[in-house]
Amino acid sequence: MQTAIQLIVTSLQIGAVYILFSLGLTLIFGVMRIVNFAHGHLFTISALMVAYSVPWLAGNGFPVLLAYLTGAAIGIAVALVIGFLIYVFGFRYFQRDMVGSFILSIGLVLLLDGVLLKLFGGAVRPVPEVLSGTVNILGATVTTQRLALCFAAVVITGMLYLALTRTRLGKALRAVSIDHEAAMLQGVPYNRMAMIGFMIAAGLAAVAGALIAPVSIVSPAIGADYLIKGFIAVIVGGLGSVPGAILGGLFVAAIETFGGFYFDPTAATIAIFVLVIVVLLVRPKGLLDNG
Amino acid sequence: MDDKLGLPYWAIGTALALGSTLLIGDPYIVSVVNLISIAALTAVSLRFVMLIGELNFATAAFVGIGAYTAGAAVTILDWPFLVAILLAGVVAAAVSALFGFVTLKTKGPYFLLISFAFTEAVRIVYSKSMFLGGNSGMVGIFPPLALDPWMPTFIMAVSAALIFALYAAERSDFGKILIAIRDNENVARTVGLNILLIKVACFALASFAAGIAGSLHAFANSVISPGDFSYLLAAFALAYVKVGGEDSILGPIIGAVLLVSLGSYALGLGGQEHIFYGAAIVLVVLLMPHGLVGLVRRGRDKLAQRRA
Repeated sequence: MQTAIQLIVTSLQIGAVYILFSLGLTLIFGVMRIVNFAHGHLFTISALMVAYSVPWLAGNGFPVLLAYLTGAAIGIAVALVIGFLIYVFGFRYFQRDMVGSFILSIGLVLLLDGVLLKLFGGAVRPVPEVLSGTVNILGATVTTQRLALCFAAVVITGMLYLALTRTRLGKALRAVSIDHEAAMLQGVPYNRMAMIGFMIAAGLAAVAGALIAPVSIVSPAIGADYLIKGFIAVIVGGLGSVPGAILGGLFVAAIETFGGFYFDPTAATIAIFVLVIVVLLVRPKGLLDNG
Repeated sequence: MDDKLGLPYWAIGTALALGSTLLIGDPYIVSVVNLISIAALTAVSLRFVMLIGELNFATAAFVGIGAYTAGAAVTILDWPFLVAILLAGVVAAAVSALFGFVTLKTKGPYFLLISFAFTEAVRIVYSKSMFLGGNSGMVGIFPPLALDPWMPTFIMAVSAALIFALYAAERSDFGKILIAIRDNENVARTVGLNILLIKVACFALASFAAGIAGSLHAFANSVISPGDFSYLLAAFALAYVKVGGEDSILGPIIGAVLLVSLGSYALGLGGQEHIFYGAAIVLVVLLMPHGLVGLVRRGRDKLAQRRA
């Protein structure tokens, strides 16, 4: 029983990051109808900035928590700037062009991969512990850091959900993702919505990167693994669907944790793949497809 | 569009290319030429599935399956060289037919992502299969000793033959159906075509070529490892297709020749291969969406207009 609770808690932790990731992917797909493989690199850039700035700030007399918050702000800011540049000089010209935008994003992936490797080297960077201690939940132990991560992810997901369902901007974004031409006829500025959607997604990836940095080992390759899982989560849930992204993220995390514990990580990865195939066989557009 | 296949041009081009392989002796240039032949075949295979409007990242997986089939046939089963190459194509085509039958019901982003995930899943399978050498891969995949000096010629001849076969398929009625599916699947369905079956046939044909490309890769390098067949292989093939231009079959060939030779030159300078390929793709997509072939065509049309 205790093992089961521990596993559930672990899958919720992993799932929290997958959710932030897949929410961004699904938002970009919904608004612009493009698949962005470079999404993972915004996550990586943010995590790398945190991993480099926090030890430096802490070494210069900052308290660890303040150093972390400053580092996270720097990381998110840098990732947002790069996301903005990618949008303005690249994806803006490829709205609703699946193949073109995908090819562009693969080019960006290779380019950013090379640049990040050159700038930061392949070595992993540890981040000092920000919050110490562990918490006991129903007999399962969790480090405070991971609990804070989950909490932050839940708050962000909740805020995004409220923003999408309750505010004017959210309604406009949803209208664009359902039918962009009808939305434009109603006076919704499509180009601005596309940019806002892209930047919110970039922000989600950046926040996820800053959150994962202290509880993980950061290297320039960290984004790729999360990206693949994030994509699988959105395929399972249905591209363009927010509840689908949340469900898919939890689903992938649960299989990964339980499969990894009872069998081995390889079996878990293959099981995820088989399940995706099964889902696609039954529902070729994902479980909660709305488009 | 004329229905002639332009056979004389193909014959002359292939003969010239094959002839030039007989002249090279430097082992480094031999390896680059082999890479070019295999890259061109892989890129043409990727482009063939693009005819039905799908981007097939599983190309990398089928190249890998071909390479591992050939490797296992030669080193474990001791089967003859040519049988191993043929088997590589057949196994890749068979796996792709099964995979395609399930996944080609999906379209666009779903197919793209699932083929991407398949590539990574297959790679994990090799690295965990101990009889396939696990993470370190397989070694000692040699062609027959008598053939060794002729390898570049042999590899190029096989690649050229398969590229021509795919070109002939594209120009046939079958190819026209593929384009019809890309343009509007539902219209094609209304005239009584079994869309899924045609898609699977197209996919299996392309994967046969990819499997053969993999076996050639295995024999050219004599060492293969799971790391050789990540999604990056398909990303590079996509770079060849895009830089050359996807509208013509010459595009992927030109792209492969250009990027592989420039890439190995850049590697010699200590430059970063990834930055080079990435920058090439980004610039081409942004500046010349129809690639080099498109650029040449436009230039030719402009010249023709000025003369008229």
